[in-house]
Amino acid sequence: MKENMSIMVVDDEMIIRESFSHWFEKSGHKVSTAASGFEALEKLKEYPFDLLFVDIKMPGMDGIEFLEIVKKEYPDTFVVIITAYGSIESSVKAMKLGASDYLLKPFKPEQLNLVLEKIAQQKKLTGEIDYLKGRLDTMTRFDNIIGQSRAMVDIFELIPEVAESEASVLITGETGTGKELIAKAIHAKSRRNAHPFIAINCGAIPDSLLASELFGHQKGAFTGADHARKGFLEVVSGGTLFLDEIGEISTKMQVNLLRVLEEKKITQIGGREPIDVDFRLISATRRNLEKDIKERNFREDFYYRINVITIEVPPLRKRRADIPLLVEHFVKKYSSETAKRIDRVTDSAMDLLKNLEWPGNVRELENAIERAVVLSKSRTLDRKDFSFIRSAPVETKKTVSLSEMEKEFIRQALEQNEWNVTRTSKALGVHRVTLQKKIKRLNLRKSV
Amino acid sequence: MATNKFMIGVVPVGDTPVFVAKATAAHISGYLNLPTEILPALDTPSFAYDEKRLQYNAGIIIKTYEALEFGCEKVVALLDIDLFIPLFTHVFGEAKLGGKCALASIFRLKMERDGSCPAPSLVYERTAKVALHELGHLFNLRHCEDNRCLMHFSGDLEQLDRTPIHFCRYCNRFFKDALVDYSDSSFNS
Repeated sequence: MKENMSIMVVDDEMIIRESFSHWFEKSGHKVSTAASGFEALEKLKEYPFDLLFVDIKMPGMDGIEFLEIVKKEYPDTFVVIITAYGSIESSVKAMKLGASDYLLKPFKPEQLNLVLEKIAQQKKLTGEIDYLKGRLDTMTRFDNIIGQSRAMVDIFELIPEVAESEASVLITGETGTGKELIAKAIHAKSRRNAHPFIAINCGAIPDSLLASELFGHQKGAFTGADHARKGFLEVVSGGTLFLDEIGEISTKMQVNLLRVLEEKKITQIGGREPIDVDFRLISATRRNLEKDIKERNFREDFYYRINVITIEVPPLRKRRADIPLLVEHFVKKYSSETAKRIDRVTDSAMDLLKNLEWPGNVRELENAIERAVVLSKSRTLDRKDFSFIRSAPVETKKTVSLSEMEKEFIRQALEQNEWNVTRTSKALGVHRVTLQKKIKRLNLRKSV
Repeated sequence: MATNKFMIGVVPVGDTPVFVAKATAAHISGYLNLPTEILPALDTPSFAYDEKRLQYNAGIIIKTYEALEFGCEKVVALLDIDLFIPLFTHVFGEAKLGGKCALASIFRLKMERDGSCPAPSLVYERTAKVALHELGHLFNLRHCEDNRCLMHFSGDLEQLDRTPIHFCRYCNRFFKDALVDYSDSSFNS
């Protein structure tokens, strides 16, 4: 599609300005002219021109001076330098200062058309890049990390600050709390966001394979190495490497990685030449690494290298205020994916979800909602839609009396033993008669 | 002299052969369905000769011709001299948007890049294309992005030869609208 641009011609010769104007008008572009750099700067304050054609030789301020100011103050404006007195020196200088092209007057008519086409293409690409950057920003604007609890808001505030630095980050938290999402958000907000984000689950890869995955190998380095392969530390170049379950790697691998972090160089398995690497490390663990250090399972020097900044992600049970928000988000997500119209979750169901322990955290909650949405036959999710959840709800706010707790405890034990009193008494370590008395006193009955 | 409404005048200038003017007039009549008239020849415009560039300044020629009374609404002058505008090394033709007089030069149309001479029929066709394109500008038509349209800009002979000798449907529409506008303004005046 034709790109009509707003153009300004800056030339002290009136005949050139007129010539340009007539030409551009015939091509449907909006043209303005200025007889000097000063006049052009005044016009630029009032109107954002896409493209400027600037003569080098002008009284007062020459084209190169003008170009320097324009590129500093209006970096998105394209500038084409035109001159009748061309020299390699001036053209190199102009291009170094950011000119898009350099034309020698007079030029062939098709040359001007080519320059216009090239700049229209660049303008289109710049526009597309700006749009995609905006989209990327929206997509990663913590949209996937949901929370309004104080703990999560603190993390949201911390992410942009952490993203600005180059320091290594250690994200701690139970499984399913969204550690990888936080790592991705840090990457997306950092200046490395145009480069790859590579996530590796160290716990899922055997140590010998992990070395090959991270460092790469030469052809014939070991049995099965049929061809040379670059490691993730090389592939991630300029980006962010996310090592999940860092607590699972061997102390030998910790030493290797420590060296990489210090020297920023790697050597492929079977290779000799060191290769420069550039990446930011974000690690995550659900283990207590300080305890592992005391038990000599984790190296202290490596711990301090990867743990310049720590982000602790709270488990879901410690941020129950976020559960309704998460439930709403996942219901919307899976309703849309399964093309089901589910409008609401009943208060009773929400109470249940809010009071569950969620040992698998957000991941478990998400799975539960997905299953409920898939299996639901109505437009509302009720308590019965979550009957498949096994973990018992816990009362967190209400104070429970000792007798109530005893009743609930015995009831659970009885249910686990299918209300067989002899088996239950053995499991509880009390006499059968004692248990029978308690069942009677607490009025416990098997529900039908 | 009374002005002939919608009559397009074709003026051979200097050494331009009259049959080139006749061929161009026939093309204008045929493709635009407008009456044409071959006007008396004019002398080579030596007043527009630029001694530094050894070429003729198209802007100066247009300015001079627009001051003349040809007795036609629009005029296409056919020249056999090398035309330029200060910006470009050369132009095949020149016209101002909504102007009265357009120029088309056969100087660069009758010689290929390698120095050989093309068949006369090809020269007539090229001249007609340039003349019709410039005439389009006189009717306020701008350059068209469609390379299958006569109003698409042609910077060299290869491109000119690829360009068809008719407007695309949009430019055709604009052209017809422009004719209606002229008709109204002529009637009102």
